[in-house]
Order: sequence, then structure tokens, then C-alpha cells
Amino acid sequence: MIGRELHWRIQDHDVVVRIEEANGKGVLRVNDRTVPFTVREEHSSGGWIEIDGRNHQFFVSRTANNVAVWIDGHTYVLERIEKGRLLEAASAEHGSGEIRALMPGKVLRVDVKVGDTVAEHQTVVIMESMKMETSLTTTRAGKVAAVHCKPGQTVDMGEILAVIQS
Amino acid sequence: MVMIHKVLVANRGEIAIRIFHTLREMGIRSVAVYTEVDGRSLHVRTADESSRVENYLDTREILRAAAETGADAIHPGYGFLSENAAFAEACEQAKLTFIGPRPQTIRRMGDKLESKRVMKDAGVPVVPTWDAEPPANAYPVLVKAVGGGGGKGMRLVEHPRDLNEAKAAASREAAKAFNDDRVFVEKYISNPRHIEFQVFGDTLGSVIHVFERECSIQRRHQKIIEETPSPAVSPDLRAKMGEAAVAAARAVGYVGAGTVEFILSPDGQFYFLEMNTRLQVEHPVTEMTTGLDLVREQVLVANGQPLSIKQTDVRQSGHSLECRIYAEVPEENFRPDTGSIAVYRPPTGPGIRLDSGVEQDSEVGFHYDPMLAKLIVWAPTRDASIERMQRALSEFVLLGVRNNIEFLHRVVSHADFKAGKIDTHFLEHHAELRKPTTTEIPVEALLAASLTSSDSRGHRGTNGADQTFDDVWQSGAWRNA
Repeated sequence: MIGRELHWRIQDHDVVVRIEEANGKGVLRVNDRTVPFTVREEHSSGGWIEIDGRNHQFFVSRTANNVAVWIDGHTYVLERIEKGRLLEAASAEHGSGEIRALMPGKVLRVDVKVGDTVAEHQTVVIMESMKMETSLTTTRAGKVAAVHCKPGQTVDMGEILAVIQS
Repeated sequence: MVMIHKVLVANRGEIAIRIFHTLREMGIRSVAVYTEVDGRSLHVRTADESSRVENYLDTREILRAAAETGADAIHPGYGFLSENAAFAEACEQAKLTFIGPRPQTIRRMGDKLESKRVMKDAGVPVVPTWDAEPPANAYPVLVKAVGGGGGKGMRLVEHPRDLNEAKAAASREAAKAFNDDRVFVEKYISNPRHIEFQVFGDTLGSVIHVFERECSIQRRHQKIIEETPSPAVSPDLRAKMGEAAVAAARAVGYVGAGTVEFILSPDGQFYFLEMNTRLQVEHPVTEMTTGLDLVREQVLVANGQPLSIKQTDVRQSGHSLECRIYAEVPEENFRPDTGSIAVYRPPTGPGIRLDSGVEQDSEVGFHYDPMLAKLIVWAPTRDASIERMQRALSEFVLLGVRNNIEFLHRVVSHADFKAGKIDTHFLEHHAELRKPTTTEIPVEALLAASLTSSDSRGHRGTNGADQTFDDVWQSGAWRNA
């Protein structure tokens, strides 16, 4: 799960955007709105997002601090007024072998049990959060040393759900 | 009969490319000319050959390029040397075929007083004009430059006491712009529509008209949206105006493609305004509705061959609309913009034609006219044509230089435009169209900008596989997801 906060200046007013995203699905928070989205495609000059079941193709062009975005027949120019910063460095396995919850939510499925041999990129736990499913996967092969959750359980962000030993 | 086999196009941008297309279809070789700043431009690489010149207006340089490349004809396009009689003469002297009317025709029609006199004699209705003082009941009047165009050297005078001052100012402006300080006074027609007729003459004496184009949507006296047929022209009026246009062309023994411009007053009266002795920017709408290729007809006529069609066989089908895509900012009084075209994805689909002078990564500089392309649509009816244009404009992606695409969309979406209630002051009377309808940014745009902003996590495909990550994400949670 990646959380980010971006500060934009658009025609003399400032907008703070928070984005939480995992596996191409996420939510955007701006003012009092929470908008779930899916990123279908993304490349250097644009991409394809889905909001509320509707497709939006977009194209971008960047200069130093400005981003011009073409979307749905309109072009918007946004100025970046502060470097985006990391909101939550929800811990990943990265070396420790710990599989942690990337956001608060509910455990839907646990695909492993203690003693199982797991491959790289294998799904360990599937979570639901903000009505989206997220798969938590391994980054390397190993053996399951511990499982700390079960389906239906509510977990907090960063909670250790399983431990993999290499 | 000596046939043209290689044509040098003394122009740049979309019109040069449009001419190359027809030449290629006719099996005629093409030569592009380019200036230093245009070395990498699209028109240069589209031609079969190219030759560098110092300036597109330099007759000697153009003739040298023609000699060096072995071209036997020159097409001037529009603008630049297209209505320069001395250039047409110089081509003749150099034994090059000038694809355009005869030099003496260009000269006569370029003089606004002379052209009006010729038309009056031919029985074509002409706007009342005075060399000196107009009668007091003729006001308001317009002071215009004899050698002018594009609104330069033009003044509106409401009251007789302001006439002399306006004439002096217009004269100074005209001297600077056209090297000709002569001005004249003309009756001012309020809320006029600009209706022009495409005419064609060949060397065998045939003169035809190919219907009208309405070009009333203008900014700074320059057309930006054109269409045919005009919603203001009834079949009866079309017949009368067409007849007058042909009479005008016959009066000067016109050879080649020309345009007879009229103003149509709200009471249905029409008056000869001027004759353009060149291919017009807006010629594609005529092509879309008649099936004719006007450049091909120009080449046939220049070859001494007859026009491919007779007046009685000319038919118009459906409706066509053209929007000129400019690198300019309507929100900031139409100031031109420059830059590099970062993303260029023009619309496609049924009934759409794009005459473009640029492509992805093209540089748009300040040296030349900021028109980038012309978007033309065809549909069976005017309503369907407008819907198609709305669709096409809303799909036109152009990033890197600011442009008028959204503005054009607002104009064609306006209720008065849809109803055909337009005149040459439309954009002045609807200044609100220059501003976006809403300044609110939708969440989609915020999301798109935020997802792709520079310190984000690189790019990925649909599967979310990591590829290039900035440092901040290297140790982050992404790999886990």
C-alpha cells in the first residue's frame, strides 16, 4: 500500500490530494471527497483510469513544476507547490520476512499455513479494505514460519500477518 | 502540350503538405522549400525533395531552388507570394508555370478600388464606396486600405467629424503594412455575414462556381470556423450569388482557382467585397461536399487542360465544417504560444479530415503563423456536422503548446452557432466564450496528474509489476502488494 500526499496549485487556489493505492486500485481523497479508482494502464505520457465504472484516458506533459493533463477533452495545468511526501511507509517484507497489513481492513483469505514452502511472488494473504481486495505476496521464496491472522479478522495497518523464513 | 512533372511548393506547414498529397496522387514530383528554422519541419520531409531558402518571400531564392531541383512549375499555396503579381511574372520569365491566375488578374484584384470598379461594370453588386467625403446620411462608414487585408489600415467612423483623423491613421498603418498609403471610404454594413464563392476558370473559357462557404466566425478579422452550405443562403439566394460570382470571374477572364467574397447584410442584400486570387485556407469544406480536389483542378488548368467538371454537373452533398487549430490562447486575448508538441493525437473516425502541418515533437516557433492544423468534418446535415465536430474536438489531444481546441468546442456548442445565428461580430458579442465554462478541476484530472507526477513510482503496466522506482519507493511497501 502506498500513501501519498500531493499539493497542487490550480489557478490561484491550492488543492491537497491524498492517494492510497495498491495493486492498481486505490482511493483519492480531496477536500471531503473519497473517490475509489482503478489504474488500468500507465505510461510516461499518460494512462487509463477507471472511476465509477467509467473509462478515462489521459495524457500528460510535464515541465519543471507544472503538469498539463489532457482528460475528457479538457486540458488542465497544475503546479506542484511542494514535493510529494510519503504519508505511510507501511512496512513491507523487505528483508525481514514479515508480511504486514498495508492498510486497516479485513482479512479475506489466508492461503498458507505454517511450514508451507512458498515461492517468490506467491500470495500469502488477501485483504479487503475500502471495498477493494489487495493481495499480499512474498518477494522471495522460503518457508512460512508463522501466521498471525485468520479470515474475517480485522487488522490494523502495519500489523504482522505472517512471517516467511528464507 | 508541355505537362507539369515537378512542382515546387513555395510555402510551408499544412498547405504545402496538402498540395504534396495531390501531386503524389497525380504522379507529379514535389519539391519543398524551407528556411533555417523549418529544417526539421513536417512539410520538408513530406515532399520528394527539398531545398533551403533564406526566406519564403524571397522571389530570387525560390526561383533558384526551382532551377536547382529541376521543377517546372510553382504552387504558391496561400499567403506568402500567392497574391504577388511580380512573383507570378518572374515565374513566367523563368519559364516556370505559376499555378495560379495570370499576373494581371492578381494585380487588378489586389487593388481594392480597381476590383470594385471592374465588378460594378460587370453588374455585380458592390458596397457603396467613396474616394472622398461620403454624404452625411451614409454614416457609419469604414476607412479601408486600397492594398490591404486582415483588418490592417481599417477604421470604423461613426461621425463625419472623425473622418479625416481616421483616414490619416489608416493611411499611416497601410503605408507600413502594404507599402501603399492609399485609403478609401466604404459604407459600413452592420452585423454582416461573410459569404464567399469558390470559382474556377480554365484557359478554354470555362468559368464555374463550386458553391459558397460561410466564414463569419472570425477573430481579429481572421476566419477560424468555416462551413458549407451556409445556413443563411437559400437556394434562390445561392443561385443569384453564384451567378454574380461567375460574372465577377468572367469580368477579369479568370483562370485557375479563385474566391469571390461577399458580405451578406441581415436584409438579404449581398455586396462584392473582394476577390482572392489563390487557393483559400478553407477550401477543404468545398472538397468535402463536392468530391472535387481543388488542387488537382488547379494543376489541370495550369497544364492548359479543361476543368474536370461542368457547372451543370457540380453537386453539393451534405454539410462540412472546418475549425482552424491555432497555437494561441483565447483566454489571453488570443496571444500566440510556442513550444514543442509533447503529445499529438488527432481524432479519427467517420467523416473526419485533418490537414496538419505538425506532428508529435514538432517545434512551434514564433517565426510564422500559429495555425497548426485544420480539422474538417463532413456529415449529411449541419446538425450532424456540428455533433461530429464536437466529438472530434473533444478527442483531439494536443499538449505542449497552448491551443484553441477547447475554445472552438465552446463556439460550435453555443446555441446561436447551432441555430446558424452568426455574423462577423459573433466572437466579440460572445466574449464569454473565451473563458472556460467552469474553472473547477475534476477529480479525474487531479488523479491523472497525481499518478504521473515526477516523484511518483515510475511506470508500470496493467499488472502493477514494478519496473523503475524512485528511491523513496525502493524500500517501500510496493513490492509487497
